Amino acid sequence: MRNIRRFFRVILFLIVASWLHYVMPQQDTVRMTGIADRNETLSNIQRIFFAQVDSGTTEGTFRDLRLINTQKQRTFLFGLIHRGREETMVYRNEDTGWIYPPYFKFDSSNLEAEAEDMLSTSESPRWIIVTHYGWRNEWLSIYPNAVSIRPAPSDDFHPFPWVNLILFIVLIGGLLFLRAVWMQFYARTVDRLADKFGDQMDHVSANFLERKGRVFSWLGKWLKK
Amino acid sequence: MGFVRLILGGFVILVVIYIVVMVYSRSVRREKLEDWWDNEQVGETSRDDFIADGMKIYESGLRKRLILLIFIIPPIAICTIIYFIN
Repeated sequence: MRNIRRFFRVILFLIVASWLHYVMPQQDTVRMTGIADRNETLSNIQRIFFAQVDSGTTEGTFRDLRLINTQKQRTFLFGLIHRGREETMVYRNEDTGWIYPPYFKFDSSNLEAEAEDMLSTSESPRWIIVTHYGWRNEWLSIYPNAVSIRPAPSDDFHPFPWVNLILFIVLIGGLLFLRAVWMQFYARTVDRLADKFGDQMDHVSANFLERKGRVFSWLGKWLKK
Repeated sequence: MGFVRLILGGFVILVVIYIVVMVYSRSVRREKLEDWWDNEQVGETSRDDFIADGMKIYESGLRKRLILLIFIIPPIAICTIIYFIN
């Protein structure tokens, strides 16, 4: 029983952690090599990993997918440590609109224009910080969504994830608050009700036992005779 | 359409959060008053009167009004996000 519970806890933790990893902003140091526009029809699985068509337009069967081709500096530990090597990374550039994930990005076209302005070659690289969320997966053809771009002050610049730090503090604070609310509710409402109810149960069962005792002693009298 | 959904859904969520926080805060205050009276019987008033008076002060206090910030901070946060992303 305890193992089953542990199993479900691990599964729950994995789901929440990967969801956070998908939704939280991350910053990459990249140099942009090109931008691309592609006409696509999304499959149902892909649909989960794409946001929406440009804010204000309606969704049809086809959609234009804006992509930004880059060479990215390889990192590990959530971008905190640079490895000094490059890898290819392709970002999509989509509006997120008003609801989910709550980036409220409406300026995909502007971002495309900015990206176009910041293209560079391997001979004269220009390093750019791309803030993005999402995952790149070649099998599903899904791309992280570039939310904003800004020039990097230097090529070995390591952006520190301040926003994530603040978000995590807020999340943990919220969870602790929920726990406090639940404990308060439990101690002062559920427990008291249970006490009251338990008292009544005690009275009832005592009453019942007493009656049972009387009946049995009465029966016993008869049986003895 | 998305905007309307954000406003309506967000408002409903905020109302739920507001009610939870309000009930919690009131309950904590009541518990504090109870403990206070139980530890050092304040004045001549009975326990129930003491708690009723304390709750009346709480209802008109600043702390209760601060809970209304729940309706103010998220829209400000959203506006800030919109400003910085776009």
